[in-house]
Amino acid sequence: MFEIFRNMTASRRQTLVQVLTYMLFCAAILIFPLFLDNDFLLNRYARYLVLGMVTMALSLSWGYAGILNLGQALSFGLGSYAMAMALKLRTVPVHTGAGGLPDFMVWNNVEKLPWFWEPFYSLGLAILAGIFVPVILAVVLGWFMFRGRITGVFVAIITLANLVVVNLLIIDQQRFTGGFNGITDLAQLEFFGFEFDAYSKSTYYLVAISLSLCLFGALALTKSKAGLILQAIRDHEERVRFFGYDVAVYQIMAMSVSAAIAGIAGMLYTVVMEFASPTFLSVPLSLSIVVWCAVGGRQSLLGATIGAIVVAGMQGALSESEAFLDTWMLIMGAIFVLVVLFLPNGLAGLIDMLARKAFGRGRHRKSDGPASDIIPTETAKSP
Amino acid sequence: MAKQPPFRFPHLDGGFFVFVQREENEMAMKRRDFMKGAAAVGAASVVGTPHLWFKNAGLAYAGQGEIKVGVLFSLTGTTGIIEESLNKATILAIEEINDAGGINGMRIVPVVEDPASDPATFAAKARKLVLGDKCVSVFGSYTSASRKAVLPVFEKRNNLYWYPTLYEGRECSKNVIYTGAVPNQQQDEFIPWLVKNFGKKFYLIGSNYIYPKEENNYCKKLLEKLGAEVVNEEYVPLGHSEFSSVINKIKSTQPNVIFSTVVGDSVVALHRQYRAAGLDPEKMPMASLTTSENEVAAMGGDAAAGHFTSAPYFMVHKSPENERFVEAYKARWGADKVTHFVSEPSYFQVYLFKQAVEKLAPSDITPPNIREAVKGEEMTAPQGRVRIERENLHTWLWPKIAVAKSDGQFEVLQDSKEWVQPVPYAAYPDQVCRESGLEKV
Repeated sequence: MFEIFRNMTASRRQTLVQVLTYMLFCAAILIFPLFLDNDFLLNRYARYLVLGMVTMALSLSWGYAGILNLGQALSFGLGSYAMAMALKLRTVPVHTGAGGLPDFMVWNNVEKLPWFWEPFYSLGLAILAGIFVPVILAVVLGWFMFRGRITGVFVAIITLANLVVVNLLIIDQQRFTGGFNGITDLAQLEFFGFEFDAYSKSTYYLVAISLSLCLFGALALTKSKAGLILQAIRDHEERVRFFGYDVAVYQIMAMSVSAAIAGIAGMLYTVVMEFASPTFLSVPLSLSIVVWCAVGGRQSLLGATIGAIVVAGMQGALSESEAFLDTWMLIMGAIFVLVVLFLPNGLAGLIDMLARKAFGRGRHRKSDGPASDIIPTETAKSP
Repeated sequence: MAKQPPFRFPHLDGGFFVFVQREENEMAMKRRDFMKGAAAVGAASVVGTPHLWFKNAGLAYAGQGEIKVGVLFSLTGTTGIIEESLNKATILAIEEINDAGGINGMRIVPVVEDPASDPATFAAKARKLVLGDKCVSVFGSYTSASRKAVLPVFEKRNNLYWYPTLYEGRECSKNVIYTGAVPNQQQDEFIPWLVKNFGKKFYLIGSNYIYPKEENNYCKKLLEKLGAEVVNEEYVPLGHSEFSSVINKIKSTQPNVIFSTVVGDSVVALHRQYRAAGLDPEKMPMASLTTSENEVAAMGGDAAAGHFTSAPYFMVHKSPENERFVEAYKARWGADKVTHFVSEPSYFQVYLFKQAVEKLAPSDITPPNIREAVKGEEMTAPQGRVRIERENLHTWLWPKIAVAKSDGQFEVLQDSKEWVQPVPYAAYPDQVCRESGLEKV
């Protein structure tokens, strides 16, 4: 913790307020189940927290490093498949009996477990895969993009295309991936003697604790020297390069940390949802993450997290109220338009503005740097 | 370390906070000091605490003269249009039953949800209906993907899902009532009929997912028995709309029949491009398991005319029950609306639900009791007399072969002489779905 304080550049008080706010949020989600004795609602809120986590990961690369990754759901989906593969191998298949092939492979006339499924017999390796497969992909992709000084809209297009490619691959290779139906009928996650039923406080806490740790980890990163350089790159890439920093390395780092968090979130999503599906790495989900991030405030990790929770929660509530059954999509759309038009820094920006009004002048935005355009124009003209 | 009885945190009650001790619990206990509170509670396990689920056992599903059921069809998203018609058929049946006095005087209260064509949302909404609203049954799903996504919810909570869509079979769940056709019901009469009338060269085209592949697996077995030949088997991505290369291959292989299990918007594109390429349904018809009045309405009657479909129900089917159904459907939802072979089961399965619940005392109305009560239950549906098979919870149906006309309707050419038994594992004779579960023969 002290390191955070030593390295901070904004005033000590501001950082303190920020850390306290984050702690308050984490405490709130952790004590929440004490007041809620309803497994179904806990499962639902655990789902929202997972979505908050992947959105937070995007805010790290988009809000802090200026990398608009439209393929954020790729890391998320790969994480969820890693977990689903491990849990699938732990179920007793109804068609082949104990130790047999997963059911969808039998349906597709596969005779032998493919080699890349073998490591997933080990939960430890599966969890490593859930984190490092997305990270390696992010590093490779980042290496090509940022070494080639590709920035701005082109990053958005490339990451989106990459997502589509993997998505199609998973749907097409249904012999090994379950295709369009995804991987269903999973065992329960179990480690260190804890069993994580999707409808239990244990799973909720697993999600809430993971989110808290990632949130503070990401906060520490943004407060570190590397974090400041990232923000400098976001605001003026060329200037940072003239200072002698290797811009690409920092960008790759931001993207891969973001991928790791998204991968963890994906694994948790499988535990909460009890299946994995190609829709977990679909374009609509990926764009939803961007929208949540924008609504919450992309330059605030906590803002993005809360944005996802609030918007996903609203989608749930609106689509379930009889009055809005036919119009809920329209209402959601209108809210997004209004937020983008009038709150360019999202909910976090609104709260900041209100706080500044309430406490008078002298306070700056919690997160650092000027609010830039959605895609930094400075960098868009690089080759 | 030997297993010990569960340890309870005395300050936290409710049975939720049971700390399940296992072999590894030594390590867990050491951590307890700092994980106290949050993480220790996190150790609560539901598998170790079955009473969590029994807590629902005393719950009266039929309270205050009302029976809550879920209706889970997408109203938005990619399959929104077709699923909306299933929602309408379900609601129509519920309203009719309520208007006629309900079930033993109790009203059916539908809880309608929009899962937006997304499997994850399907799973979330199914949970809401089963756990949140405590529905005693849920009517829902069009795609297999969405059924697979909700299945764990119904199996773990021992609730009941009523699935109206024709599908690929090979499922043996105790928690799903299947009122649509399985491959043997659509193909056993259709394939020999096609071979007899058109010839022995078949071109198999389907969307790339499990349903078409399974239908084709079964089709190939039938063709082999008949000594017929598959000239090509091809799968296009879901939502595919560019069929020129497929049509070129069709032209070069000159099959007698194009057997299509393409679904959704691709059906429309395939038919239109077939017609645009100048192919002739008289010589080389498409034979489909998935083209209904609904798809024909989307592509226009001209593109559909002359092609064949096998299904248990067509809107033009002549029976007093069907006349009543079509009339009521149009009166309720609009004169331009069509009924089809998925909306008809959506409608009659609500009546089967009613018949099953009628047999139960109000305090006995639970999902497992409804399942037991519906076994062997019969009724006269618009397509004919149907029955729920005791062994596998699928439905005895009346397959028909029909040809599409340019007015958007079908003409039924052949009706089964008797109802056809559902065999969900027809392509795999070494496996049989029984009341006790899946058995190897």
